[in-house]
Amino acid sequence: MANGELGLQGIAKTFRVDGRLLPALDGIDLQVTPGEFITIVGASGCGKSTLLRIIAGLETDHAGAAVHDGKTIRGPSLARGLVFQEPRLFPWLTVEANVALGLENAGLSRDAKRAAVSEHIALVGLTGFENAYPRQLSGGMAQRAAIARGLVNRPGVLLLDEPFGALDAFTRTHLQEELQGIVAREGITAVLVTHDVDEAVYLGDRVVVMAPRPGRITRIVAVDEPRPRSRTAAALLHKREAVLAALDSGGRGRPEPRRLDAPDEPLRQPAAAIALQGAA
Amino acid sequence: MSLLAYAPPRSGDFTVALLVRLRHAAIGLLVPLTLVLVWALASARGWLPEQVLPAPSYVWQNLRDMAASGELAQHAGISAIRVAVGFAVGAGLGLLLGIAIGLSRPVEDYVRPLFTAVAQVPTIGWIPLLMLFLGIGETLKIVVIAKAAFFPMVVNTAAGIQNIPLSYREVAAVLRLTRWQSLRRLVLPGALPSIFTGVRYSLTKAWTALVAVELLASAEGLGYLLVWSRQMFWLDTMLAAMLVIGLVGYVMDAMLAAAEARLQAWRIDA
Ligand SMILES: Nc1ncnc2c1ncn2[C@@H]1O[C@H](COP(=O)(O)OP(=O)(O)OP(=O)(O)O)[C@@H](O)[C@H]1O
Ligand SMILES: [Mg+2]
Repeated sequence: MANGELGLQGIAKTFRVDGRLLPALDGIDLQVTPGEFITIVGASGCGKSTLLRIIAGLETDHAGAAVHDGKTIRGPSLARGLVFQEPRLFPWLTVEANVALGLENAGLSRDAKRAAVSEHIALVGLTGFENAYPRQLSGGMAQRAAIARGLVNRPGVLLLDEPFGALDAFTRTHLQEELQGIVAREGITAVLVTHDVDEAVYLGDRVVVMAPRPGRITRIVAVDEPRPRSRTAAALLHKREAVLAALDSGGRGRPEPRRLDAPDEPLRQPAAAIALQGAA
Repeated sequence: MSLLAYAPPRSGDFTVALLVRLRHAAIGLLVPLTLVLVWALASARGWLPEQVLPAPSYVWQNLRDMAASGELAQHAGISAIRVAVGFAVGAGLGLLLGIAIGLSRPVEDYVRPLFTAVAQVPTIGWIPLLMLFLGIGETLKIVVIAKAAFFPMVVNTAAGIQNIPLSYREVAAVLRLTRWQSLRRLVLPGALPSIFTGVRYSLTKAWTALVAVELLASAEGLGYLLVWSRQMFWLDTMLAAMLVIGLVGYVMDAMLAAAEARLQAWRIDA
């Protein structure tokens, strides 16, 4: 797939809350090449969802330019799929019908649709729950159904907002592999927001680190490790430290900045604790 | 569905299910039966003169006589047709206007002020004016009933659509659902609970309007029977007509509830 190029120049977004202006994003510049896998990490409230919504075309009232394949983004498009931070399944539709919503406008035959839907339900491990209603699903199952809905029409650009946050470690690992495989096979450009630094480094070609008030990019860590990657590769561990350090220094004024590169030093703190510091 | 009494579902146990239903029915009959009992007692003891409160047996006898002579069926049939046609026209148009208002800001801006003002005028207030234009024939009755059914339908349909969460509308936007697709998959199912509230209100209003219009401009129908028998002090006939109206209303409401349960399987435990 030759397209799927994204360009963000000088993106700024201000919300008005209670009559006061709240700068959510400021001076966001990012070029994404076709087929690239971008992951975004940053403290809660630093504007990650807002940035995805701008790329998706849901938020058009902002400063700066958001461009997809040379065209300014003025609204949602089938060429850009979005998996929301919450599942947002329609409660009156079964799992199957919710996933099929992703194909309403795909122009497929009835049979092709049904096949694609059941293939994606299987992919996220919900076979047997085709006829269940959303209220009969657990939070993680609902999130997986939402992932299937976002994936089923294979958009050229796939935007994912903490898609695996509600999942157990085993399912998360499985879905990371599946997502990576699909994105690579189809040449999809992916932008994935996560709070999990391991996930960001494992999946991303580049990890974008953001900081809050106003939401801005503080560092971009390139992960050049070839795929398929091993989760325990030394290079990934180093990148992870770089991301954690960037998250830490971008936070609210830690007195002593951590070293950005600590090539040979093993981590002393448990990973989860560090990740929480960054995300809190 | 009672919100207060939560019984964990025991699937497959038919005897239990049957007992639960019987118990439910018994509870529902308790108050009406007590009332009839008090009524019987009151007339037997002569607490109230017979001209004011005839005995239940007397009313029952009257009801059976009217049923046997075909008089009751005739009145009830005429009223039922009026309500059915008026309700279908009024609620149908109300549904359409409610959808238009719910979906389109401009339509709402144009229609809402007039609509609100008109809705304040009680149905009875319209009858003299409408008589001037329509005479006192069948058209008048249908129009009055339709008008009564129209307003609650518009208000509830529009509110149901406007209350659909933004988060779902964003999903429809991202998936680029067409107008028709989002009407079918999002707007109508999302507004359905509110639309049903509208249907129930409409139906109640239609019956009320029926009585009002039959009172002023009819020589047949249950409303006529009610009013006429009251004026003639045939209180047994009046009570019989009241019973029939109440019963028909109850049956229609039960049918609506059943339709609602079928259409909203997603909300109710399987
Ligand atoms: N519709 C809105 N109206 C007003 N303020 C908003 C709105 N949406 C987001 N904000 C504000 O913008 C900022 C960024 O929000 P956003 O949801 O993008 O953060 P986030 O990085 O996705 O956070 P999290 O990791 O918790 O999901 C927050 O301060 C939030 O309060
Ligand atoms: Mg978010």
